[in-house]
Parts: sequence; C-alpha cells; structure tokens
Amino acid sequence: MDYDVLVVGSGIGGMESALKLGDMGYKVLVVEKEASVGGKMILLSKVFPTLDCASCISTPKMAATIHHPNITVMTYAEVERIRRDGDGHFEATIRQNPRFVDEAACTGCQLCELACTVAVPDQFNADMVSRRAAYIPFPQAVPKKAVIDRPGTSPCTFDCPAGIKAHGYVSLARSGEYEKAFNLVLESTPLVGSLGRACFAPCEDGCSRGSLEGPLPIRLIKRFVADTHYQSGVPLGVEAAEPRGQRVAVVGSGPAGITAAWQLALLGYGVKVFEAAPVAGGALGLTIPSYRLPGEVVAQDLGNVEAIGVEIEVGHRVDDLESLHDEGFEAVLVATGTPRSASLGVPGEELAGVMPSLQFLQASKLGQAAELAGKRVVVVGGGNVAIDAARSARRLGATAVDEVCLEARAEMPAFDWEVDEALEEGVTLHDGWGIAAVLGTHGVEGIDLKRCTAVFDEARRFSPTYDETVRQTLACDVVIVAIGMGPDTAAFSPTLDRRGNGALVVDPQTLQSRVPHIFACGDVVDGATMITTAVGQGRRAAYMIDRYLQGQPFAADQYELRVPRVDPVDVLRRQKSHSHKDPLGSGKALVAEPSDFHEIEAPLSEAQVHYSAGRCLDCGVCSECQECVAACPADAIHLDMQPQQVVASVASVVVSTGFKLFPADLKPQYGFGRFKNVITGMQMDRLLAPTRPFNTVLRPGDGRVPDRIAYVMCTGSRDQTVGNPLCSRICCMYSIKQNQLIMGALPLADVTVFTIDVRTAGKGYDEFYVQAAAMGTNFIKGRIAEIRELENGNLVLRYEDIEHQGALREAEFDLVVLAVGVQPNLDTKGLFGDGSLQHDAYYYVEEIDEDMNPGQTSIPGVYVAGAASGAKDIPESILHAGAAVAQAAAHVEAVRVGA
Amino acid sequence: MSERKIGVYVCQCGGNISDYVDVERVREAVSGDPDVTVTRTAMFTCSDATQQEIIDDIKAQDLDGLVVASCSPKLHTFTFRGVAKRAGLNPYRYTQVNIREQDSWAHTDDHEAATEKAIRLVKAGIARTRLLEPLDPTVVETVPKALVIGAGVAGLRAAIGLADIGLGVVVIEKEAEVGGWVKEFGPMFPHERDGRDLIEQLLGEARRRENIVIFTSAELVRKAGSFGNYEVDIRTRGASNMTRRLEVGSIIVATGVDSYQPAEGEYGYGIEGVVTLPEFKRMVDSATGPLTHLGRPVRDVAYIYCVGSRQGESGPNQYCSRFCCTSAVHTSLELQGKDPTAHQYHLYRDMRTYGRYELLYDESREKGAVYLKFPADRPPEVTRAPGGKLEVAVQDQLTSQEELRLPVDLVVLVTGMVPRQNSELVARLKLPIGRDGFFNEIHPKLRPVETVVDGVAICGACQFPKTASESVTSGLAAVAWSAAMLKQGRAELDPQVATVDPELCTWCGACADTCPYAAIGQLDLGGGRLVATIDPSTCKGCGGCVPICPQHAISVLGYTGREVEAMIDSLAAEVA
Repeated sequence: MDYDVLVVGSGIGGMESALKLGDMGYKVLVVEKEASVGGKMILLSKVFPTLDCASCISTPKMAATIHHPNITVMTYAEVERIRRDGDGHFEATIRQNPRFVDEAACTGCQLCELACTVAVPDQFNADMVSRRAAYIPFPQAVPKKAVIDRPGTSPCTFDCPAGIKAHGYVSLARSGEYEKAFNLVLESTPLVGSLGRACFAPCEDGCSRGSLEGPLPIRLIKRFVADTHYQSGVPLGVEAAEPRGQRVAVVGSGPAGITAAWQLALLGYGVKVFEAAPVAGGALGLTIPSYRLPGEVVAQDLGNVEAIGVEIEVGHRVDDLESLHDEGFEAVLVATGTPRSASLGVPGEELAGVMPSLQFLQASKLGQAAELAGKRVVVVGGGNVAIDAARSARRLGATAVDEVCLEARAEMPAFDWEVDEALEEGVTLHDGWGIAAVLGTHGVEGIDLKRCTAVFDEARRFSPTYDETVRQTLACDVVIVAIGMGPDTAAFSPTLDRRGNGALVVDPQTLQSRVPHIFACGDVVDGATMITTAVGQGRRAAYMIDRYLQGQPFAADQYELRVPRVDPVDVLRRQKSHSHKDPLGSGKALVAEPSDFHEIEAPLSEAQVHYSAGRCLDCGVCSECQECVAACPADAIHLDMQPQQVVASVASVVVSTGFKLFPADLKPQYGFGRFKNVITGMQMDRLLAPTRPFNTVLRPGDGRVPDRIAYVMCTGSRDQTVGNPLCSRICCMYSIKQNQLIMGALPLADVTVFTIDVRTAGKGYDEFYVQAAAMGTNFIKGRIAEIRELENGNLVLRYEDIEHQGALREAEFDLVVLAVGVQPNLDTKGLFGDGSLQHDAYYYVEEIDEDMNPGQTSIPGVYVAGAASGAKDIPESILHAGAAVAQAAAHVEAVRVGA
Repeated sequence: MSERKIGVYVCQCGGNISDYVDVERVREAVSGDPDVTVTRTAMFTCSDATQQEIIDDIKAQDLDGLVVASCSPKLHTFTFRGVAKRAGLNPYRYTQVNIREQDSWAHTDDHEAATEKAIRLVKAGIARTRLLEPLDPTVVETVPKALVIGAGVAGLRAAIGLADIGLGVVVIEKEAEVGGWVKEFGPMFPHERDGRDLIEQLLGEARRRENIVIFTSAELVRKAGSFGNYEVDIRTRGASNMTRRLEVGSIIVATGVDSYQPAEGEYGYGIEGVVTLPEFKRMVDSATGPLTHLGRPVRDVAYIYCVGSRQGESGPNQYCSRFCCTSAVHTSLELQGKDPTAHQYHLYRDMRTYGRYELLYDESREKGAVYLKFPADRPPEVTRAPGGKLEVAVQDQLTSQEELRLPVDLVVLVTGMVPRQNSELVARLKLPIGRDGFFNEIHPKLRPVETVVDGVAICGACQFPKTASESVTSGLAAVAWSAAMLKQGRAELDPQVATVDPELCTWCGACADTCPYAAIGQLDLGGGRLVATIDPSTCKGCGGCVPICPQHAISVLGYTGREVEAMIDSLAAEVA
C-alpha cells in the first residue's frame, strides 16, 4: 500500500491534517486507535468561546474525513512501528486489531449491545456510566459499527483445558440466563453436571478475584446451572445438524470419548460409543465416588448425548479396531482411558485382601463393594484416587483407614483440600513411607513400611530412595493399592503404535494414528490426566475427525484460535475501585465418621449464584457468552477474527496522537476516586453534553442535583508535586465554558472557581471570562489544600483565601469539579522504535525549530500536529495541523522530485 | 397525485432538538404528503449510520428530493449534499431545514409552539424541494499562485511554504523593508532565537526560491475576479512608481499589528523613565551589561501589566493581548542575565504565561524577581519621587493587601497589541473586522485562517495578538488552506447563483450597480439590444439583485421566485 502521507491519530488535529492534504490531492492514510474517528473533541459538550455544540461541528469533519476520496481511514488500528527505508520513504507497520465484527455487514443496529451480558465502565462517558463489552463507542461514532471489546481472554476461560467458556456462563448466570449458560457449556461438552462436581476447577486458580478476597465458585455456578436445567425438565436446547450419512465409532465412554461423540453427533455424524464396562461414563460413571459425583448426575449428562442420537453400548469391549471399519464406521476414535491400576511389586501383594484401587472404587460406586465394617484398611498412594479410595473405605465402615504415601504431605499429588477433607473424615496419613512388604499368611494381616528419603532424583524424575533401617508396621485387614493407572491397549497392537507404558502413539496435533481413519485421544494417549483435559482432547479429536471425513486439511494451527490470556495486572488496574465482596464459605458438610455416599457438597442457592457471579471482574471484558453472535441479524460477529498486519509505504508522517488527561487520583488530597461527588472536568463535560448520560447535571454519589459547585483549577498542572510544572492552557477556558453551561442548566446553582491566575489569553477568551463572572460565577483567588467528605456526600474545601490576607478558610459544596490538565500521550515514544523521534523533557514530541518550522520533528519528513507536541486548544491544534501539513506537503513534493 | 419522491429526515440532535420539539409529530405531520415517500427521525442525522440509511433509502426508493430538518444550513448543507451525491441524487435537490437555531433553541419555553413551527418549516422545505431542478457545479480552473500581503514573520514563512508546495508567490510589503516587528527584536522566547537573525534567514530562504517575488513599498490597489482567479493591481512606490496587474488564485493577508500606545499620563506615561514594553525590549536587547537610562543606572524596575488590555470601563480594549505576560517575563529574564543584581517588581493581574511559557515564569521567580498581584479595580499609580526616582504605589493581594510604595528607576508599561489601521486594504478586500478590531476568521474554532471572503485568508497577528512562532504557525496554516484550494488546479463552485432571463431584461443597469461582487456585466445581443449577464464564478448567489430588477428578470437558481413563494405559502398555511 502506497500513500503520500500517514496521519497517526484522528482527533481534531489528525482530521484537519488529513482533510487539508486530501484536498491538496495527496493520498492519505489515517490510522486511529479507537473504533471511531473524532478524538476527544467529539466527547465535549460545547466549545469555548463560541459555545458551538461540539458534536455538531465535529461530525461534519468526521464524516468528511471518512468519505474523502483521497483519504483511507483505518480505525481500531495501531501503528506498531515506522522505519525509514532507503529511498526517502517510510515503511509503517500497522496492526489492524480485530473488532470481531464484520464492518461491512454491521448496520449499527445495536442489538448486540442489548444482548451483551458484560458491563464495564464507559470510557467515552469518562467512566461515569457503563457500556457493554459489545458496543458502539458513542452515538455519533464514525464509522458507526460495533466492536467487541476483548483485551484478552479471561483467565478462567483461558485456563480451562476443556475450552469451556467459563466467563461466559458466569456472566449468563449473573444475568439469570441459566438455560443459556447450560447451553454455552454444551458447546464444549455434554458433561455439565459432572464437571460441576468432579472438576478440579483450574478456572478458579487464575480467577482475578483470587488475588483479592478469593476466587469465584465457578464450578459450583456450573453445577447450579446444570441442576437447574435437569430439574426444569426443559428439553435439550441444542440440536444435531442434518445427518451427514457418515458414521463414527468411539471406543470408550469416558470424558474424552463422550465429548467427542457429542461434538461429532452435533455435526451430523452417526455416532456409536462402545463401552467395555457395565456402566458408561468412564471414570465419572465408575470410579469417582458418589459422595463427590452421584451416578444420577452422570446419567443425566449421558442423557444429553443420547438425546441427539448417539448410541452407547455398554458391556461391549472392542479389541479389533479394524472390524469397526468393516462395519461401516468411516472413522474410529479410541478413548479407552487408563483402566489398569499399577501394582506395588512387593512381597505379599498376592495375598487376599490386597486390591487395586480402581476395582475397589468401581465396586463401591456400583454398590457391589464388600462391607468393611470392623476392618482396618491401608490405602497406598498419595494421589487423588488414593484419597477417593480412603474416604470411600471410611464410608464402607472401616474402623481405621491409614493412608501411606511416599511423598511428604506438601509434595503429595492429591489436592491439598482433598487431603484435608480426608483427614477430617478420620483418615490417618502416614506420609513419607514406602512399602517393604504386605504381611500375612492367608490373608492380609499388616503392612511393612520403610522410610522414604526422597521421591525424586535431581532431575525431578520419579526415583524413590529409602532408609531401609527405619521401619514401621501397620496392622490391617485390607490393602488398597492406588499408586497409578495405565492404559489397556495390548489388543490394539500391532494395528496401532504403542509406547512402553501402553499409551497409544498419535500425532499430538491431529490425534491421528498411523492408520488414517483411526484417531485416539484422552488418557489412553496422555496417561492419567484431569477430566477437563480429557474433555478438551475429545473436542479436538472430534474437530480433527470432521476435517478428515470432509477431506479437508487438518490445519491444526487454526484449531480454537484464541485471544491471548489477559494480564491480571491490567484487570486490577482497570478496576480503579472494586467493591469488596467476600467469597462464600465452603458448602461441604464433613463428619469424622461418614457413613454413606450422599453428596457432601451443598449446591449454591440462586441468591448465592447471583452474588457469586456478581463478584466477577469481567477480566477479559467480553465473556464469549455468544449472546451477541446469536442476536446479530446480520451475522456480522465473528469472535475468531485475528489481528491483521498491514505495511504501508509513505513519503511523510504526521503524528497527531493528542494528549491524555491528568489522572486526578494522583492528587490524593482531592479525594478523586474515593469521594463520589468529586469529578473531573471531562466528567462535567459529559454531564453537559447532548449525549449526556443522565440527561441533567447531577452528582454521581446520590443523583441529587447540586446547588453549590466548586471548581479546583490547575489540578495536575503548574504543580511540581506531580512532576508537571507546565500550564495546560485549556482548563481555565473549559471550566469557564462549563460555568456558563451550568448556569444555563441549573439556574439556581452557585458556581465557585478556586484559581490563582485566570488564563484566558485568546481571541474572545477574556471577554468570555468577564461574561461568566457577570453571569454569576464566583472566582476566588485561592489554592485548595485539601478536600474532605461529609457523611451526606457533601465536600468541604480547605483553602487559602488570597484576597483576604491568606486566611485558611473552609467552604462546603455539593459537587467538586477538578479542572484536570493535559499530559503527554506516551504512545509516540514507540512509533519509531529506534528513538529517533525526539521528545522534550516533559515527554511531548519535540519541535526542533519551533520559531521557523513549527511542527517539524527530529526526523526529516515527520511532523507533529496538535497536542502531541504540547497542550493546545482546538483552534491552536487546527493551526498547528495546518503548519504540519504545509511542511508535509512540501516534503512529499521534494521526495517526488528526488531532492 | 404524486409527482415527486422526497425523503424527509427529522433530526433529534441528541436532545438539542427533541428536548423541545416533538420530532415524531413533525414526522407524522408530513408523512401524508403525496410527494413524500420516506419519513424518518434520527438521533443524529449527521452520523455516519444515518447518512448510510439515507443513501440506502434514496437508492431503494429512487428518491428525487431530500429534506433534512436539523441544524443551521451553515453546518450541514455540504454534509447532506454529499450524501445525496453518494446516493446518485443531484445534490442541489436537497433542502436543509433549520429547526434547531431557528426553532428548538429559540423556543425552549414552549414545546407545543416549537413543534408547530417545526412542522411549518419542514413543510416549507418540502414545498421548495418539490420544485428544485438538478444543477451542476460550475467548474473553474484555478491560478496556481498566491498573493501574500505583508512580509513580516508570518507572511515570509507563508511565502516559503507556498513555494515549497509548488505554488507561485507574490509578496507585497507596505514598508521599504521586510521583517515587520520581529526584525527589531533580539532574543525571543522561548528558544532565545534572535528576531533579526530569524528574519534574515527567512528572507534568504525566500530569495533562494525562484517562484517567490517580493515587492517592497508595495500596496494592493485593486482586486477583481472570482474564485481561484483573481486579478490584482500592485502599486509600488519609490524610484519608479508603477502598477502591475497580476493573476493570483488566493490572497493571504498577513499585515500584522501595532503596539498599544499609552495616553499621556496613563500609568505615568510621559514621565521620564516610564517606557512601553517594545521600548524596554530595545533597551535590554542593545545593553551589554547593567541598564542605564538617560545616564543613570537602572537598579530597580517595575513592570505594570495589562496596559492597553483588559481595560474594562477605562478603555475600549476588552481583550487580553495574550503575548505580553510572557514577553515581559522573558525580557525581565534577559535583563536579569545582563544585570543579576537589578531588582525587578512585576505588578500583574493574572499571570498568563500559558503552556510551556510557565517555565519562564518559574525561572524568573527563582532568580529573585518579585511578583505582586494587584486588583483590577485598584491599578498601580506611578508618580515622580524626590531624588530622580519614580514611585509606584500598588496594593499586593498576595501578601498583606497593604499598599506598597516601590521606589524604582524605570517603569515598564507592559503594553499589548492593537489592530493596525488598514482601512484601504479592508475596503478593497472587504475584510471582516471583529468587535475587538482584529480581522475576523470565518469560524474561530475550526476555520481560524479562512474569511467569509472567498479566496482570502488571514494569518499572523492581524487576526489576533500572537507570539512569533504562533504567527509562523498560522502563516503555514494559511499555506495549507491555499494549497488545498489551488494545488489541484481546478475547483467546483456552487451553481446556486443568479441568472438573467434575457427575454425580460431591458438593461437598466440597476443590478450591476447593486452587486457587491461585481459579477454583473453587460451583454450585447446584437441589434443594439443590451441585457445583463452574470458571471457564475463571481456571483455568490446572495440574491441582492433579484428585488432590484424592475422586470423580475433575475432569479437565483435553487431559490427561484416560484420556489420561495411556495415556501411562503406553506409557512403560512394552516397546520392540520
């Protein structure tokens, strides 16, 4: 792409620059970071001293800019870097950020805004009200196209190995849309109720609330959503696509297999699941104890799968994968998990009374386990399965349950809270012990333990060492071995490649085995993992099988493209103040002698769900709840859009990136951010604007119309304590403008301006000041030392009254406006990566010859226009833009003739 | 019977209109008109989305007329003509109805009446639109050359800027020498650039460019022509008085300002040792060490600010002269550098060292200058004191409010700028003058160098007091304006101009006499039959000639007699 001039930023300076250059006949590229052109001016109420409506005089410029035949505008785009190339041109690399909305298709109807479940502070209303994550910046936006605000993926969603949109269902639950929340989980997996109980919830580990008062109970919200759905009797809200006529066999009905079957059936494939065990669900149906995951819940989840036509055949073990192909299955997915328990390999293991953990848990879950009343049980192992076994043994009546593991407590692979709960239920832990032998003659009588000195070697490989001299014997009747699980894949050899531990070998990206139509996923490939990991692999397998069956390239790198994880530091910074909301306590009722397999965790009540979901900080802003996608009549929303890089060659650059407003919370003595009725000048401008948020001037604390309004001038300007000795030029005039507008809007209000010098040095400006004073604004020469808040939200200003012998006085007001000043926009620092664009001591773009060539920067051919080089009001910015483009045009002419 | 297909859009203007006018009722009131095909209301009709909606309507419904009832035509006529154009509708079949400035804002106290008035106004707009014929813009070739009047810092820099974009430049300077005020200055704030050097450099740059011609002792004596094609007569004085006729495409006025001259006795002016800021600046610039005045050392200096500015009831100048605070502080620092032991007292009202200039104020205070703030209603008084000293009495608001009496050697009256008297130029160019006496721009916010006179821009301090670099900035902005107008070599002009019906005209000449733009001439149709003819590129469509014509032979396209009568009929008709 070739242009004559690149204009960076589309505020009033940028628009003026582009329009003048376009009118001269030069080809101009404008790059704007926000989703609309217009900069700050379009957000103002009126302009001084003419009191023109800012919208009314900005919108023609905005429309003219975007429609000009010589101007190309990229909004929601950023200049990443600019470098000079050899022939006098500049090469600009521009990142087009994804709006996640097809600009051509969007009609600006705003239905997505109505549907969106996330509200965040509206930066275009100076954070005084909320906007949605799906939004149009402001009513006069140009282009008036929606954008989905996605600074990153929320940690809960990003961290879910199953790819479940955790933030999405939390935000839907917050809106009371439980059925939609349920359906959103269904997009990933049918196992909603099971995951709501048995998932180890990696989503909660990264929850940004976790670093405040504690994470949200995300898993329990999912459980509530599932329970609500199942109790409602509402039919399943999703339907399979039209049948495709192709059939797929899934071997194994655990989380991976069932999820894959679900996904494939949704796509229209005929799916049959073969399960060797008498009950479907894999670990969910067989080994996770009922007190954690009742069998009925698993059955309900499996009912979803059957409801869309998947056939599940239990008690059917498949050893001959090839025969399935002959039966008409065009693809086969092996997801048989890790059904074999590892053995100890110590003397006495063959004694009656020694049993593998999975066998024990399965018997227990199916109600076939032997009574353990009066028995002493030793469980060997430190993982979650061992904990499940130990706690199940307690429930079956064992008088004593001793758990023995190699690891020290802190190193145990089981979750800490699982261990705690086991201890609370009367399990005795013997950590740091290995097994020397199982003792007994006909049956188990005891177990001989030896001290484990280290579990891992220096390379963190599992390689336990023992001190054989330190021994301990535990008397017992039963030993349950829970030291690991492995796949059962011998029968698949030699059709498929296997590793030494029996795991199947497949391409890690496509999950395809060496037999093209056979895929494998889940624990049979990866070894024992978490349920959600298996679910995630099942989804991936279904996607890959679909690509295979459709004859399309796998394009595995395109699978589930996501926005990078949002930085939690940014999330907390964005929450200037969040209300303190404590987490709910654990809903688990634990007893020292549990006697049955009733579910121990209480469900959340609807009120608790509402409260908990309301604690969500909306880290990634957009929750990916998909409501906008469904609501858009133009099908314009595509959450998988990716950033695009554009490289443009230009002869000259105009930097018109504008300014930032002083963050008023940097003057803590004024209380901004703490006192609700202390607002900034920009907030007052919004209160007065035609697109004002409340349709009147009111104070944010309680919505009351203020009677006494104070202005604190020079907030963040002429102030060494905040590092800014400069005068911001605009604040006196914008405050006086607001004074006049307030007196129009609230004729009874008293307006007092605390100031040192009133700086109204411009055409018609001093007259404007005199006019405000004549209208009744009270100008007091005084500096504000401190602002104090009263209980009723009123504010007491302590000030030095200069006109009265410098006496310290106090005055009470209903509303205080801080006339915040101007700060540099530091974005300019990165435009030229090599630092060749010089900045002055206050970080504004430096004009190297202001007397003769205003706007000229340290780089020949690069000009600065408007407030990027220092505070300017609107006409000054327009004039400065004129100066910049007069020189930019001259530069383009010189480049053209090769001078 | 429906003959036309007109779209009518009623704007809420985000509450500016809809808070007082029931826009939905307005829409309903005209929706039954058989010539009206589409009626809609919109939050902001000027927004991109609504513009697109109008375009879609025009295309889908094959509309042949467009009415937008919103704000002043000054704001959005071009916006909606552009909309029509993009939709394939002739842009001159558009009527903008002003229901904001002329209705909602004027009748905030009576919503009912405001709504009724809006209905009448919109109906009148429809009546006009019903009769509008398509028009095509007048295309003119433009002369790629600009005339710059005034060779001060703004004019010289503008000339160089124009030349560098490839335009020819003629600079005329009334004085025998170029450089204006700046050529008299030593170091200027804030970069300590020497004014004399700056002018020398600018002049050197200008002379290096072949497409710049500078005439000194020269004046504009005549201007004629039309947009982009002006004929100007330049008279030069001196050895050979002569007048040249030149063709230019645009004119940039950079005639500068004068310094305020205090009256005898104003703050002691006239007393030995009371000087103006320019006089003081020259003294300091030329000093090499501590200052002396009339052979006496200057140990104590008092500055009195706002002399000739912000005069309130004591004088005509109500404006703040903008540059003088910083200039006085800067000159005071210059003196401080030459004589670190001098005592300097600044007597000010509001210290207006705006922006970065604040750093000079900080520096001045750090180096020991004393700043005393006096109340506007109690200005300092200067009297002669015994022993050759002057005494300044001032009430300091910053400390005790007590009256201080300062014995000083020199009093500097910090005088502001005043508009320069250029009555001949003003008359020749019809330059608009504001209430402060400076030349007026067309819009102080968004079009600060353009004037209401086509092809004429203003820059530098003739528009309002400016610092040197601000003058240069506005000079270059005038360059950008000029290049935007001339660089492409052609321009499209509004075709809504007056035309003469030669069948009716009997040539009495009344129209030609009244035309303020000299757009009307005489045409010989042969056989001694003379009629008036109007140059469409000179005519502004002001309509002044229309009522003058005794034969009713003249009409303005887009506002023909029929069209205006139809509007009046509609306005006067009963509102149903």
